[in-house]
Amino acid sequence: MDALEIRNLSKTFAGQVALDRVDLTVGAGQVHALVGQNGSGKSTLIKVLAGYHRPDPGAVARMRGRDLALGSALAAHDAGIRFVHQDLGLVLELDAVENLMLGLSYPRGALGRIRWPEAVRQARERTARAGLDIDLRRPVGELDLADRTGLAIARALPEADRGPAVLVLDEPTAALPDADVRRLLATIRALRAAGHSILVVSHHLAEVLDVADRVSVLRDGRMVATADAADLDHDTLGRLMVGHDLTLSAGRAAPVTAGGEPVLTLDEVSGGTVTGLTARVHHGETVGVAGLSGSGREAVAGLLSGRMPRTGRVTVGGRPVRTASPAAALAAGLAFVPGERARYGVFPNLTVRQNLTLGSLRRHVRRGYVDARSERREVRRWIDDFGIVTRGPDALVTTLSGGNQQKVLVARALRRAPAALVLDDPTAGIDVKAREAVHAILTEHTARGLAVLLVSTDSEELARLCDRVLVLGHGRIVRTLRRGTDLSATAIDHAQVAS
Amino acid sequence: MTASNLAKPDREPLGSTIGRYSAVLLFVVFIVTFGTLKPNLFLTASTFRLTLGEGVVTAVLALAFLVPLAAGTYDLSIGANLGLSLVVINWFAANTKAPILLVCVGAVLLCCLVGLLSGVLVVRFRVNSLIATLGVSQLLSAVALKVSNNRQIFGTFSDGFAGLGTTSLFGIPMVVLYLLGLALVVWFVLEHTPAGRYLFAVGGNPDAARLAGLNTNLLVYGSLVSSAGIAGIGGVIYAMRVGVYSADVGPGLLFPALAAVFFGASQFSRRPNVWGTLVAYFALAFGVKGLQLAFGPGTFWIQPLFQGTALLIAVALASRQIGRTRRSRRVQDTAAPAAAAAALSPPSEPGDATPSEATTHTGLG
Repeated sequence: MDALEIRNLSKTFAGQVALDRVDLTVGAGQVHALVGQNGSGKSTLIKVLAGYHRPDPGAVARMRGRDLALGSALAAHDAGIRFVHQDLGLVLELDAVENLMLGLSYPRGALGRIRWPEAVRQARERTARAGLDIDLRRPVGELDLADRTGLAIARALPEADRGPAVLVLDEPTAALPDADVRRLLATIRALRAAGHSILVVSHHLAEVLDVADRVSVLRDGRMVATADAADLDHDTLGRLMVGHDLTLSAGRAAPVTAGGEPVLTLDEVSGGTVTGLTARVHHGETVGVAGLSGSGREAVAGLLSGRMPRTGRVTVGGRPVRTASPAAALAAGLAFVPGERARYGVFPNLTVRQNLTLGSLRRHVRRGYVDARSERREVRRWIDDFGIVTRGPDALVTTLSGGNQQKVLVARALRRAPAALVLDDPTAGIDVKAREAVHAILTEHTARGLAVLLVSTDSEELARLCDRVLVLGHGRIVRTLRRGTDLSATAIDHAQVAS
Repeated sequence: MTASNLAKPDREPLGSTIGRYSAVLLFVVFIVTFGTLKPNLFLTASTFRLTLGEGVVTAVLALAFLVPLAAGTYDLSIGANLGLSLVVINWFAANTKAPILLVCVGAVLLCCLVGLLSGVLVVRFRVNSLIATLGVSQLLSAVALKVSNNRQIFGTFSDGFAGLGTTSLFGIPMVVLYLLGLALVVWFVLEHTPAGRYLFAVGGNPDAARLAGLNTNLLVYGSLVSSAGIAGIGGVIYAMRVGVYSADVGPGLLFPALAAVFFGASQFSRRPNVWGTLVAYFALAFGVKGLQLAFGPGTFWIQPLFQGTALLIAVALASRQIGRTRRSRRVQDTAAPAAAAAALSPPSEPGDATPSEATTHTGLG
């Protein structure tokens, strides 16, 4: 019997069709992947399932043969559908036990007192079922992303005595480095073995093909294909998602001869999980930084941007950069595109224009005030150049898709005409086309002489764009891979794991 | 790109538009209603002058609150700052022969200094701004009580000085012109200068603001000094208009001012903004005035009832219409704690009460 069956699901927003007569069947005890680019309707489908949106009339859904009312969060929960959303919904200040109990209910004693030992026991049982080994009493904010994701899954698991559930994981691996992805995929397989059905939303094709039994592809609100994963390969799937052949931009040409003075130098830079990092980035060169979580990779961009304090010496164009001051780094000609867009990059209360020009308004200031017209002109140029999909410069930045918000942040960094650019996982969680666009932008600017330090969890991205990749482990460089000799995505993967 | 990527609706729903202009609608409704009920009393130039004039000081206080709020910082000490400015001016006017202009400038500078102190607490010692300014507010109340000996102070002001607060220009009370001037300056700074842009950026995402190279500490300092200074100017205007210090003047105006700012933040651009604040405040002020004229002097309790109701309805409407956007949540998130804190401060005294009104209201306490 099928676990979840949906027929004829449509959803229209203000005349715009987001989902068009979609059918979806998730088999019992199967891993079913739902793929599609941003804007294809994946999120809408999930939100209808979760009861956040009400579907248009005519949709029918059944859960294990029983009718299911779509558009009701309660009905979905009662039927045994559980969700892990992309933002995980964890409270970072609270510890794992408290986070787990948020969605459940605390075991109570007399006078409503919380029975903590029992709560901890329950928490331990849950995390064990999700294959998670973490310190339950540490604030969740101190855990790495993989563990946080695992924790969110543990919380979503149905009670042990309930029957199998349908778990919906929305982009669970978007921000995870490869090894953590593997851990997560193992968790997913374990859940399947326990009899649960899992619906995974993703646009990472490799992992989809790796873990899923069946794959459904959404494009422009329609379900264009559903097939066994065994019958699909990477290219076919990519074609189905995009609607035409994947035109991967060719890798960079031969490396720029790394002559002359380096633009960006790091000497014995330490801080966070990094110890004694030394590196050189030359004019027109792209240097990658890879590493599993905990390797120090996560800290590199924060140390260079001045978000975190560091020791050691950093220079840009020969000039030393003070520690812990983003303003000083920017003034020296070092721009950055921060990771965790929503947390460190985007101003949700400002427009595209205001987001894009923030930090260097000087060229639009006339006698003390901001000349909005000349500012708008400039922003329109960036929107055209970078193919930013938006209603216009004055649209709120939060109305843009993640990929387009990322382009805004890249534009914000590049319009300062920096000598060097540091990017932290610039294409995490954005769709194929936006990723291509960001890569094209970077390639173009390095060709014009920009020095780029690219920190990434995406080995393929590093292999494609970088002249050299520094692989970190335990806070140090454990391996340097060079274009033309030993640089490839697989080599990066191996080097990371070997460290 | 596919059409669905562009699917964000260009037009906002009608209900949302109405919500964004609810204060203007309310204004019109009041004018029409009370104009019909009491045309001879309500629709007169003197009623308009009086209502506008009475509201000026509270409106100035609302402008003061607006500046740090843009940067996500609360200044609850503005009421007490206004009181400080007023007590200083009156004390000097009563006990010395110091030139009044000098005294006023000194009072405003003193307030700025207090703003600097709040800044040190918030930036240097990382005290939550709500708590820091609440504490500062209490300290200032202590100073004012000590200086005034808990009595009213009647400063001796020259006719020229009082004239600045009580005369009219082309039929418009001078104080209303001061308010307009101040509002223009605050509006210009917030909406059209880099500093204003940066304040909103800090308010929207402080971490990102720092990473974008902004000096967030300096911005918070600046906003708190500004709010304190504007509150000090409010004290000067009160001295011109009324001339008497009593202990309940400053802190008592805090809640109506906050209510106007949060009501106003649900208007127009849906973020803290100058014109929304002023329209919201005066819409309510005219409503209260109309009710008082229509139903007589027993309706002194109308003002807080009115302000509370309008604030709740406006913010609730705004949140319902755009309840799924981040910004409306922010409006609520900002409104809730500040309103709670304001409730801790002394009970509000209606409007910018003249001494005669103040005595009639003492029965309330």
